[in-house]
Amino acid sequence: MIAKPDSALIIVGHGSTVNPDSSLPTFEHTEELRRRELFGEVHCAFWKEEPSLRQVLHSVDCDDVYVVPNFISEGYFTRTVIPRELELTGPMTTRDGRVIKYCEPAGSHPRMTELLLHRAAAIAPGVPPEETTLFIVGHGTDLNDNSAVAAKREVERIRVRGPYAEVLNAYMEEEPRIARWHELAAQPNVIVVPFFISDGLHSYEDIPVLLGIADESPGAASAHSRDVFARNPYRVRGRNLFYASAIGTEPLFVEVILDQIAAFDAAHAPENTVLVPA
Amino acid sequence: MRRTRPRTPSLCQLEEEVARDLTTRLAEWLERGGARIGQIAIARLARGFELRHVDDLACDELRTSSSPEDARALANFDDDGHFRPLKTAPNLAHGWHLLVADMAGLRLALDYFYPAMLGVRLSHLCGELVPVPLRATLGRQTGMYRVTQRITDSQADELIGRFCRSDGGCLKKILWRIADTVPIRSLPAEKFTASSAGDDWPLLCHEACNLLVAEARKVVKS
Repeated sequence: MIAKPDSALIIVGHGSTVNPDSSLPTFEHTEELRRRELFGEVHCAFWKEEPSLRQVLHSVDCDDVYVVPNFISEGYFTRTVIPRELELTGPMTTRDGRVIKYCEPAGSHPRMTELLLHRAAAIAPGVPPEETTLFIVGHGTDLNDNSAVAAKREVERIRVRGPYAEVLNAYMEEEPRIARWHELAAQPNVIVVPFFISDGLHSYEDIPVLLGIADESPGAASAHSRDVFARNPYRVRGRNLFYASAIGTEPLFVEVILDQIAAFDAAHAPENTVLVPA
Repeated sequence: MRRTRPRTPSLCQLEEEVARDLTTRLAEWLERGGARIGQIAIARLARGFELRHVDDLACDELRTSSSPEDARALANFDDDGHFRPLKTAPNLAHGWHLLVADMAGLRLALDYFYPAMLGVRLSHLCGELVPVPLRATLGRQTGMYRVTQRITDSQADELIGRFCRSDGGCLKKILWRIADTVPIRSLPAEKFTASSAGDDWPLLCHEACNLLVAEARKVVKS
C-alpha cells in the first residue's frame, strides 16, 4: 500500500471542449484517491479543460509531485505535449525546490490485462469463457497508432492467460473492423470491450451502430447514452452480445494509477543507481 | 513537505515569507472579509460555508447541495444545460446553493468552480506567477496547433477582444501580452488589472488557454 502524505499526485487527462464525459473518469479517479488519503494532495489537470497543465502546479502545496497520465497508451500526448506543457526535463524534474516525477501512462501498466478480464467477466456473469469471443476494440487510425499497438499487446496477454475461446483485436476505422464482428467471431457469446480511456460518441454511438445494437442518431451523446451498456445481453445475428463501457471508466483503474507510481519509485530508487553492473 | 520559500521582494504583496499552504491563505482572506470569487458569493455559517451564484443572493428557493464534489456538476453546465469547458466564462448556472462543512471543503469546491484560480492568485501574491506572452504560447505548439504561429498581431488582438472579453467570454484578468512589445488593445484597461475590491478573489490569466489557441487555429485556417 502506497502512503505518501508529503507528496502530491496529479492525474493528467486529455479532456474535451464538447464532451463532459471525456474528463469524467479522470475526475472520478482523482476523487477516489482523495478519499483514500494516501497522498497529501490529489489533483487532476487537462490538455483541453481546466485546470490546465499550465495552471495546475500553482494549486500544489507539496514539493514532491507525481504526475500520472491517464492515457490508454504512450503516444504524442504523453511524450510531447504533457512534458512540454509541464516543462519537464525527464522522468525526474527538479525545479524551484520541487521534484516532479513523471510516471508512465496508466494504460501501459501490465495490470491493464487484469482490468480487461475483470470488465469482461463483470458484464457477462455466468457466461462460459470457453464458449465466448472477447473483442478489444480500438480506434485504429494512424493518429492512434500507439493505442492500437497497446490493444494488440493486451489481446496477446489475454490469449496467453487462456480463459476465452477467442480473443480478437478489432477497430472502428481499419481492418479487422468491428463492423464484421459476426464474421470474425466463431463463438455463440461475444463480449466487446472498448479500449478507450473514457466514454463518448465512440462508445455511446459509433461502436453500437457498427455492432448493430443501436441506430445511427444525428445528435450528440445524450443523458440516455449510458443505457447502451445496461441492455446486455443483446440477441443479435444469432449470438449473445455483451457490450462494455470504455475500460478507462473501470473503478479499478485507480489501482493501475497507484501501480504506475510504485513502478516509478522502483525504477528510480536510489539503490538502483548504485546497482550498475561492473 | 510543504513549500516555504523567500518571496520575490519586488513583486510579493504579502508581508512575510510565504508558505504555500493554500488552505491557510484562503482562511486568512475570508477573515479579512473575502466573500466573492467570480460569480460565486461565499457566506460564513455557524458551521462551514455556503456558496451560491451572486445573482441568487436574494433567492429563497434554491436546490441544496452538500458535498464539495457536487460543485463539479454545478460548474459543468450552464442554465441551458450546455457544457462549460471554460469554467471562468460568465455563464455559471443559477438556482443552487452549496453547503460545505469546513475550509478544506471550501477549497475543494472553489477548485471545481474555478480550477486553479486559488493557487494562481497565491502564486501571483508570492511573485511566482510569470505571465507568458501569446507569441511564446503559440511558439511552443506542435501538431495541429503549430499553424497558430502564423496568426498576425492584429488578428490576435481582434480574436482576444472577441473571445476573452468579460461580458460573454471570460471573467479572468489578463496578465500577458501578445508579445513583449505588443500589448492587447482590443479590451478595456480594467481587463488587465490584477487587483480587485477587498472582498473579491481575482481570477487571473497568466497565459492564453488552450481554448484561445484553438480559436487562433480557426482564424489562421479561415
